[in-house]
Amino acid sequence: MLGLLFLGLGATAAILSRSYAGASGVYPLALGTVLASIGIAIALRAMYAGNKQVRELVTAPGSLAFAIIASVGYLSLIVPLGFYTASVLLMLFLPLALGFRRLPYLLIVTAVFMLLVFIVFSVVLEKPLPAEFWSLRRRG
Amino acid sequence: MELLLTALPAVLSVGPLAAMVGSTLVGVFIGALPGLNPVMAIALLLPLTYSMDPLVALGMVAGIYNGSMYGGAIPAILLRIPGTPASIATTFDGFPMAEKGEASKALKIACWSSALGGIASAVALMTVGPLLARATLFFGPAEYFWIAIFGMVSVGVMVGSDPFKGLLAAVLGLLIGTVGIDNLSGQARFTFDQTWLLGGLDLIVVLVGLYALPPVLHLAEKRDLTGLSSAKLKLDAVPFAKGEFASLIPTWIRSSAIGVGVGILPGAGGNIAAFLSYNATRKASKDPDSFGKGNPRGVAAAECGNNADNAASMIPALSLGIPGNVVAALVLSALVIHGLQPGPQLFHQNPTLVGGFMIEMFLTSLLIFFVGGIAATRVFAQIQRVPGVLLVPSILVLMCVGVYVINGRVIDLWVMLGAGVVGYFLEKVNVPLAPIILGMILGPMAEQSVRRAILISRGDVTELFTRPLSAVLAVGVFLVLAWPMLKWLRRRRSQQKPVL
Repeated sequence: MLGLLFLGLGATAAILSRSYAGASGVYPLALGTVLASIGIAIALRAMYAGNKQVRELVTAPGSLAFAIIASVGYLSLIVPLGFYTASVLLMLFLPLALGFRRLPYLLIVTAVFMLLVFIVFSVVLEKPLPAEFWSLRRRG
Repeated sequence: MELLLTALPAVLSVGPLAAMVGSTLVGVFIGALPGLNPVMAIALLLPLTYSMDPLVALGMVAGIYNGSMYGGAIPAILLRIPGTPASIATTFDGFPMAEKGEASKALKIACWSSALGGIASAVALMTVGPLLARATLFFGPAEYFWIAIFGMVSVGVMVGSDPFKGLLAAVLGLLIGTVGIDNLSGQARFTFDQTWLLGGLDLIVVLVGLYALPPVLHLAEKRDLTGLSSAKLKLDAVPFAKGEFASLIPTWIRSSAIGVGVGILPGAGGNIAAFLSYNATRKASKDPDSFGKGNPRGVAAAECGNNADNAASMIPALSLGIPGNVVAALVLSALVIHGLQPGPQLFHQNPTLVGGFMIEMFLTSLLIFFVGGIAATRVFAQIQRVPGVLLVPSILVLMCVGVYVINGRVIDLWVMLGAGVVGYFLEKVNVPLAPIILGMILGPMAEQSVRRAILISRGDVTELFTRPLSAVLAVGVFLVLAWPMLKWLRRRRSQQKPVL
């Protein structure tokens, strides 16, 4: 499966490279071809090894799915809600979703951690981060 | 020597000194937390260093690197959980010592060994680095092309358990490195009409995703809800017994030499240095059977070996611009962030920075003596009481803020997440991640060098093989590629031998 995936990726890269002018297409064409060749080698090796057992990729699919969904949700909310609001929601939601039930401990850790992030990035380093939704509303 | 004397006053100013002390402490904390590693910490740190003085930024990298390599010994000894991959060999004798009630002694030996290994490595960097940089003055584009290919091929073949997958990762990295506008012709490649891709994929964004997200996802899978109880983390101070210190000196000398040698080789990391040092010490011992049962020399060999790899791995990175491992690649990224071009010219154009970084590697190794004492170790061990599930969102927030501040683009966050999820699954199918990053760094250099070499020789491709030095390097690449095949043939032949 891995071999076939990289065979496809390498072949696609090689085909796309053919449309690039002159020497700028030769290098990615060569790389695409090499990637596809290694992909073929890995696929053939797996085929001849004859190991039909499906490898377990994920040990705890539920927890992993929670973490990935929470990450996607977090990134989606950063712009509409603002960096700090979205981050506080993530800090509170994800541990709860993973089974953590010591709420006071969680609230203290969230408050202290977010305060530290605010001091380091917004106060000391003065880095511009996506604005909070309430400050945007106030500005109209 | 002149290089170091030029840099010394700049390193001994307040900014770099504070950065070294603070980051060594942070490094030990990170190393002490199983699941987090120095690469992840440095990857998270780099975006923050954009506006800093380069010596301050490099001081932080040096501190985190040396500190975390020692910090990994704390859970390895106390819990038999290696804090970093390089401290696996430390568990062999460190944990049995802890079981015998000698945890404090094991930690003290680990502290001394880490510091001494790091110091030996920094001395090697200070002496060999400038010599190698001088030798590279004879290099042309063809040699640079082969050096880039040699670095990548050796990392691809040596990192991980499967050379095919290592090479696959290296080629994937090279291909990712071609995304964006080609510097020589202006042709946009693999941009799919997306303007944000014209500048290529940001190395730090991909790096943070590849190296920081998979450990976070592993922590989420583990669902550690409690952390460790404080009873497991109680330690008492123990002095060295009479003659014990002197008995460790041969081990430190041997392991330092092995660590430095391994560090210079591209692809071989601290874990290999630790294993080789451990095995060499066991073989040299009059009582090899005592190893694995709590022999202090086992701890000394592993910890000295893995720290002796640190600064030595910077030798090819600083002098040739070829990173031997991912941390060296991160150091090169830090230099690029500050507008500096890694390679031999760096020694001539910016001696304060190169010499300064060498001194910082030395001083942060020395700092381990002070921050690795038993009182400090008691504090660092407490980090293991934090439940793992609380680290998951905290690291995610740090990753996002770090990546966002690079270019101020939300799209970079999605690239980071994508790279992280891909990295997680690639690791699961034993595809190493280091060659991808090295491919991204060395790809543009390899492409530009080969095209320049062919341009200079007016289209004659044989120029790549006929210059004496490039021919030697080409043979080196061939040998590295042939090595796994020879190993496989030898194994097969030994399996086919009839049993008498």
